[in-house]
Amino acid sequence: MGEVILTMKEIDKSFPGVHALDHVNFEVKKGEVHALMGENGAGKSTLMKVLTGIYKKDSGTITFEGKEVEFHNTREAQDAGVVIVHQELNMLGHLTVAQNIFIGREFKKGLSIDDKKMNEEAAKLFKKLHIDIDPTETMSNLTVGKQQMCEIAKAISHEAKVIIFDEPSAALTETEIEELFKIIKDLRKQQLGIVYISHRMDEIKVITDRVTVMRDGTYVGTLITNECTKDDIINMMVGRVIYEDPKEHSMVKSDAPVVLKVEHLNAGRMVQDVSFELRKGEILGFSGLMGAGRTETARAIFGADPKESGDIYINGKKVIINSPEDAVKCGIGYLSEDRKRFGIVVQKTVAENSTMAALEKYMKGLFIDKKAEKQVSEEYVKSLATKTPSVDQLVVNLSGGNQQKVVIAKWLVRNCDILIFDEPTRGIDVGAKNEIYKLMNKLAEEGKSIIMISSEMTEILRMSDRIVIMCEGKKTGEVGIEEASQEAIMNMATREIG
Amino acid sequence: MSKSGAANSQNKSIVSKLGGQKFIVLLVVVALIVFFSVISPDFRKYTTFMSILDYSYYIALMAIGVTFPLITGGVDLSIGTGLICYSLTGGYLIVQKGWPVWAGIIVALLLSIVIGCFNGVLVAIMNLPPFLATLCTCMITRGLGSIFSNNFGISWPTADAPGGWFRSIFKITVNGTKIPLGFLWVLLLVALMAFVLNHTKIGRYTIAIGSNKEATILSGINVKFYHIMAYVISGFFAGLAAIAYSAVFSTVQPGTGAGFELEAIGGAIIGGVSASGGVGSVEGSLIGVFVICLLKTGLPYIGLQANWQQIITGVVLIWAVLIDIMKKKKEKVV
Amino acid sequence: MEKIKQNPIVKKLGFNRIVLFGVLLLMYLLFCILSDNFAGLPRILSTLNYAYFLGFLALGVTFVIATGGIDFSIGPVMFCAALVSGYCLNSYGVPMVLSLIISVLVGALFGTFNGYLVAYWSVPPFIVSMASMNIAKGVASVFTKTQSVSWPQGVSEQGWFRKFVKVGNFPVGLLIFLAFAIICSIILNKTKAGRYILSLGSNKEAVRLSGVNIKKWEMLAYVICGTLVGIAAIFYVAAYTTVQPGYGDTYNNEAIAGCVMGGTSMAGGLASIGGTVIGVFIIALLQEGILALHFTKDYQLIITGLIVIVAVYADVVARRKKN
Repeated sequence: MGEVILTMKEIDKSFPGVHALDHVNFEVKKGEVHALMGENGAGKSTLMKVLTGIYKKDSGTITFEGKEVEFHNTREAQDAGVVIVHQELNMLGHLTVAQNIFIGREFKKGLSIDDKKMNEEAAKLFKKLHIDIDPTETMSNLTVGKQQMCEIAKAISHEAKVIIFDEPSAALTETEIEELFKIIKDLRKQQLGIVYISHRMDEIKVITDRVTVMRDGTYVGTLITNECTKDDIINMMVGRVIYEDPKEHSMVKSDAPVVLKVEHLNAGRMVQDVSFELRKGEILGFSGLMGAGRTETARAIFGADPKESGDIYINGKKVIINSPEDAVKCGIGYLSEDRKRFGIVVQKTVAENSTMAALEKYMKGLFIDKKAEKQVSEEYVKSLATKTPSVDQLVVNLSGGNQQKVVIAKWLVRNCDILIFDEPTRGIDVGAKNEIYKLMNKLAEEGKSIIMISSEMTEILRMSDRIVIMCEGKKTGEVGIEEASQEAIMNMATREIG
Repeated sequence: MSKSGAANSQNKSIVSKLGGQKFIVLLVVVALIVFFSVISPDFRKYTTFMSILDYSYYIALMAIGVTFPLITGGVDLSIGTGLICYSLTGGYLIVQKGWPVWAGIIVALLLSIVIGCFNGVLVAIMNLPPFLATLCTCMITRGLGSIFSNNFGISWPTADAPGGWFRSIFKITVNGTKIPLGFLWVLLLVALMAFVLNHTKIGRYTIAIGSNKEATILSGINVKFYHIMAYVISGFFAGLAAIAYSAVFSTVQPGTGAGFELEAIGGAIIGGVSASGGVGSVEGSLIGVFVICLLKTGLPYIGLQANWQQIITGVVLIWAVLIDIMKKKKEKVV
Repeated sequence: MEKIKQNPIVKKLGFNRIVLFGVLLLMYLLFCILSDNFAGLPRILSTLNYAYFLGFLALGVTFVIATGGIDFSIGPVMFCAALVSGYCLNSYGVPMVLSLIISVLVGALFGTFNGYLVAYWSVPPFIVSMASMNIAKGVASVFTKTQSVSWPQGVSEQGWFRKFVKVGNFPVGLLIFLAFAIICSIILNKTKAGRYILSLGSNKEAVRLSGVNIKKWEMLAYVICGTLVGIAAIFYVAAYTTVQPGYGDTYNNEAIAGCVMGGTSMAGGLASIGGTVIGVFIIALLQEGILALHFTKDYQLIITGLIVIVAVYADVVARRKKN
C-alpha cells in the first residue's frame, strides 16, 4: 500500500426528508483494495455518486492527488482518473466491444473512424488484463460477466487512477468472479486505488486490504481486513441501537391454516427452487440483501413476471397464476417497492386509485358509482389515517407514507387476504413508518396474511412472526421469530463462496 | 440469455454471415423477379426493367436518408410531401422565373436541408415525439409546395429542351438504347452512406442514440447535434429524391407525395432496420425498397391492380416489425 | 388570475377550456371583420359541415391518445369506409341503412386491427398507423377500382341520410355531434372503460399490477376510435357527396390538432372531450375563414401543423416542469 490518493472528509448530503450522508470520512491509498460495506441504504452508493459528480455535496471536501477537487459530472471525474464501474451497465448493445470502449473518443483516420486501430487497442487492453474477449464482437452477444469486463477495460483505458466497483460480482458466475479478482489484483499491483462495494463477506476477506463500514448515512469505522473477523464486520454493520423491541414470539395461533403454499418456484436466475408456506394471520418476513431475489419471487408469485415452474396453492387448492389479473382473483395483493412506477397512478385522485383493483364493485350498471367510490375511499382514508385534504386530491400531491396508504387501501378495497408488502417503509419518514407497522399488525390480527419483504433488519425483527432468508435467488434459511437474531440472519444472507 | 448469446455468436449461421435479413430479402427480390417473369412475358421486356428502375430511384433515395432517423429510434414522415415541395419549388423557379436548372436544383436541395434541420430541432431540442413532429412537417411542406407553385402542376424541362440535361443524369440514350444511369448513382450513394453509417462519427453516434440514448449522453457526446444530423440527412436525401422524381416524371402535381414516405420507410424496415432503433443498414434499405418497387410494378402484369401493392406493403410492414418483436421476445425469455 | 381559476364554476368548466372558447369567439369576430360576407348563416353552416366529420375523427383519436398511443390512419380509414360503403350502395344495390352500417363496420374493423396489434403484440402505434393508412388506401382503391364514389343527392329517394346533417337550415348534425360528444365524455369519465383507458395512459404497469387486463382496454380505445371514424365517414359524405380514393391524409393532422389543442396530452392519461370539441370548432372555423379570405387550403395545412407543434411542445414543457 502506498500513499493516500483520495480523501473524502466530512461529506454531508441531504435529500428532502433524508439525511443521506452525515459527515462521512473515507480514503483510498494507491495500490489498495478498499471495501465499502453497509446494509442497503447505508449510503455507500450515495457517497460514490457524490465522488463522481452525479450528486452535489452539501459540505465537506474531496482531495484527489493532493488537490481539492469537485467533479460536476462523470465525464469530468473520468478525465481526472476517477472511474466508476456501475452495477447496471451503461452499454450500447448494438455496437461492438471496441466501439463501446472508445465511444466518444474514437480514433480517426481522415474522415473515417479507425476501427482497426480501435480493435487493436482494445485487444491490447484485454491482453493486459488477461481477458479473452473479441473486440469485434457485438456487445449484446456477450454474457453479463463479459460485459462487465468490458466496462472495466473501458475504465482502465481512461487511465484511471481510482476505480470504483459497485457490486461487481452481483451478476457474475463463480469462474467470472475468479477472473475479476485476478484483474483486481493486477490493478492493485499497478498502484491503482480500488474501491470495492459488496455485500459478500467472503469476497471481502479474499480481495480487500481495508474495510470501511457505513450505517444509516454515517461513518462507523475502518478495519484492516487481515486483522478482523467476519463477525467484527457484521457487528459494525448491524450494531445500531434498536429503538423498538423485536417481537418476542409469534402471534400466529398454532392451528392457523396455511393460506398460501409455494412449491419449487423457478423464475430465471433470481428465483431458484423457492418453497415456503404462509399461514392465516401471519406476517412472514423475507430477509436478504439487495439482489437476493425476494422481489423477483414476489413478482413471480403475483404473475407480474413469467415463471418457469413451480406450484402455488391457495387454501390448499392448486391455482394457476399467469398474470396479475389471475393473482388478484385469487385474493393476492402486491405492494411494490417502487410505488411511483408500479403502485399508484400519480395523475389520478385518491378515490380513483383506491378503487383501481376493485372497480366492478363500484359500478351502477354501466357507470361508475362515484358516490359509493367516494364513500369507500373516505372510509379507508379515515381508517388508515391517510393525510389528504380530500379523496379528490391527486395522489401526486401526497407524501410517500400517504401514497403507500393509498396503495394499501387499494388492496383492502379489493378485499385481498394475502398481501405482499415489498419494502413497505422505503422512503417513508419515521412517524409514518410506525403507522404502517401498526396497520400491518392490525391487518394480521384481522386475519389477513402478510408477506413482508424488507432489507431493514430491525423491521424484520420487529414485525415478522417467521422469517425466510434468501440469497442469490435461493432460500437459504427459515427461522421462527423466537430463534431469530441479527447475526444469524446476516450469516444466512451473506453467501459463502468456496 | 447470456450463455446462449455467446454460443450463438460463435457458430453464426450461414445466413447471418451473408448479411442476415438483407440476404433473405435479396432472395425475396430474386424470387419476385422470377415469379413475375414466369407468369407474364411482358414483364421480361427491357422497358419493364427500365420502368421499375425509374420508379425505384426516388424511393430508394428517400429510403437511404430515412434509414438514419429510423436507426435513432425515430421516424421521418415528412419526406414524401417534402419531396414534392422541393421539386415544385425548384421547378417553379426554373420554369416560371427562368432560373438556370442548376440554380433550381440547388435551391431545392437547400430547402430540403432546412426542412430536415427543422425536424431535427423539433425532435432533438424540443423533445417532440418524432412521428408527430414530422407529421406536422409533412402537412407544412405539403402546404408550402402548393403555395410556392400557385397550385399548378409543374413540368421540369424535357430531355430535348434547353436545360433538360439534368434528365440525362438518370437516363441516357446510346444508339437508341436507354441506359439507366441513375441506378449507378443510387449504388454510389448507398456505398457512400453505408460508409458514413459504419465508419464515421455521424453514423456511429446515430446507432448509439438508437441503442441507448442515456448512455450516449453519459459518454460525453453532443447527442443533440448528431440527433439533428440524422434528420438533416433524411431531409437532404428527400431533396435528392426530388431531383430524381423531377427527372423521371414529366409533371409534378401539388398536393401529392403523401404515401411516398411509407414506401421508403417500409422498404427500410423490410430491409432490416429495427422499428425500435439501433439496428439497420443502408444497403438493406435499398434491397427492401426493391421488394416494394417490384410489387408496385409487377402486380399489374399478373392481372392485379397496382393498388394491391399498397395493401401488400402495409401487411409486409407489420409482418417485418412483428418478426423483429418476436425475435426480441425470444431473446428476453432465454 | 388565481382567484378566477379557483372560482367553482370556472373550475368545473376548466380554465383552459374557457380560454379556448374565448379564442374561438375572437377568431369568429376577427373573420367577420376581415371578410365582408363572413357573418351569416351560410358560413356557419359550412363551418359546421366541416366540424362534424372532423369532430368524430377527433373524438375517436382522443381515446387513442388518452392511452398514450396515436392513430394517424384515421383520415384514410374514413375515406375507405365512405368509399367501400358508397360503392356497395351504388354498384351492388345495397340498401342505404345497410350501407351506413357497413361504413361504421369498416371503421370499427380497422380500429380492431390497429388495437390488436398495438395492445397484444406491442407493435409501435406509429408503425401500425402507417401500415393501416396504406392498407386503407389500397383497399379503397381496389374495391372501387380507383373510381370516385358519389352518394345520392338530398332530393333523391335515398337522400334521407343527409338529414343527419341538416333539415332545411336547421343543423341537426350539431345536435347529433354534441350528443356523441356527451356520450364520449361519459364513457371517458364515468365508465370502467374510460377509467382504465386514462389510467393505463398514465401508468400502464401500475394498472397491470392492480390486476387489470390492460390489453383488453387498450385495444378497446382503438376500437372506439375506429367506430367513430366510421361514423365520421357518414357525416363526410352527407356534407360533401363525393369521395375519391387515395386521399384523406390531411384530416389526420387536423383531428389530432383539435385534440391536443383541447388539452389532451400526447403522453397519455389526460384527455378532455370538451376541449376536443372546442378544438375541432377552431380548426373548422380556421378552414372556413382562410377560404373566405381567399387563401387556399394550403395555408390551413401549414397553420394546423404549427398549432400541433406549439400545443405538443407546451405539453412537453408542462410535464417537464411537473417533474
